[in-house]
Amino acid sequence: MKLQVVREGSLVRLSVSGCDAIDSANAAAVKAEALRLLGAAPDVVVDLSGVEFLDSAGVGVLVGLFKNARLHGGRARFCGLTPGVRTVLELIQLDRIFEIYDDVETAIRS
Amino acid sequence: MSDDEQNRATNQPRGETLPDLVELCRIHEIGLDLIGRSHDVDELLDRVLDEYESRLASLPSDALDARSGGPHLESARKLRGLVMFATQAAALKEKAVAAGELKRRAAALADANTRLVAALDEAEKSRARLDGVLAALSSGIMILGADGAFLTANAAARGLAGTKDASALARLIAHGVPRESEAEIDLPMVGGARRTLLVSRRAMTGDPKSEVVLVTDVTQRNRAVEERVRLEKLAEVLKTLSVLSHKINNPLTALLGRAQILQARKFDDPSIAKAAAVIEDSSIRIADLIRELAQVVKDGRQDAVDELLDMNAAMPATGKRS
Repeated sequence: MKLQVVREGSLVRLSVSGCDAIDSANAAAVKAEALRLLGAAPDVVVDLSGVEFLDSAGVGVLVGLFKNARLHGGRARFCGLTPGVRTVLELIQLDRIFEIYDDVETAIRS
Repeated sequence: MSDDEQNRATNQPRGETLPDLVELCRIHEIGLDLIGRSHDVDELLDRVLDEYESRLASLPSDALDARSGGPHLESARKLRGLVMFATQAAALKEKAVAAGELKRRAAALADANTRLVAALDEAEKSRARLDGVLAALSSGIMILGADGAFLTANAAARGLAGTKDASALARLIAHGVPRESEAEIDLPMVGGARRTLLVSRRAMTGDPKSEVVLVTDVTQRNRAVEERVRLEKLAEVLKTLSVLSHKINNPLTALLGRAQILQARKFDDPSIAKAAAVIEDSSIRIADLIRELAQVVKDGRQDAVDELLDMNAAMPATGKRS
């Protein structure tokens, strides 16, 4: 698993790659590393194009990132959802709470 | 709770009452304290996310895993319910906030209205007091508009207008008295008499386009001035008469004395005794006039002076006994 952070002004772009899924096997590590990298960044764009699947633990990671951005007075935007990830989020209707965009550029512009 | 029940809960219109929220909590199996700890929509969402995390953590790892024979429907339903709850509760909270804001604005409006009514009442009282003051003033007060047009007048001003009405008097003032100045104007009165008015035009404080006009009847004042002048002249005349009578009386006394001495003597020529008698008689008459004059001076009456002067004018040049 690889987490990459690119800072663009007050906005931080986080890309997850190197793993097909965020699940109970790596969720805790992904969450801890992501929160460490993001720090107190308020505005975050999370690029999930490298993630094929989420289980409940993986969903918990996204909820944690979403909460962290809100905690710092900002927003977390999710983009690049693969069909597997989108299916899970729609199944539990988190797409009604999360800000979800097709790609990174659209998310940044929003 | 079934999907159908959840959908019905989602679609039903709701109010913003506590029973609505309690019902929402029951449907979605959520503790009411979740709402109680939230002071606004943002906080509510935070609480829901906490709860969401908590529920996610309690799920088996494959609960949402489509690869392991399909997602665990009951788990997914509970999570969905939480999202629905968050959406609906947020809507209720927003309605409640809006209702509170509406209530606050209505209260502020009512308060402003109360203050406005009180201010209007006070203004009406002030207006009534001002009307009372204007009505009580013996001086005339008129209000003129921007172009000198008559607006209103108190009773005294209307009374001073004489044969004219107040608006006609206002026109007379507007044309006859410059702004910011004082002048006297004469008005014809019933019966041919005239009335003199002192008019003072002043810009109204707080409304420079309007004017306050003070109208005072100075007819009596002018007459009083004329009377004072007449009395002063009379006093001068009386003073002169007093001095004259005093100055005449001394030689007259000597003249009368000598005439009486001459009459007491025996003269061969009877005309001398007769002349002496005429001198004595005339002197007595002059002395009587001087006494009358002194009385007039003492009384200080104009008519007595006039009478005396008429009498003197009519007096014959020679004595009665001539």
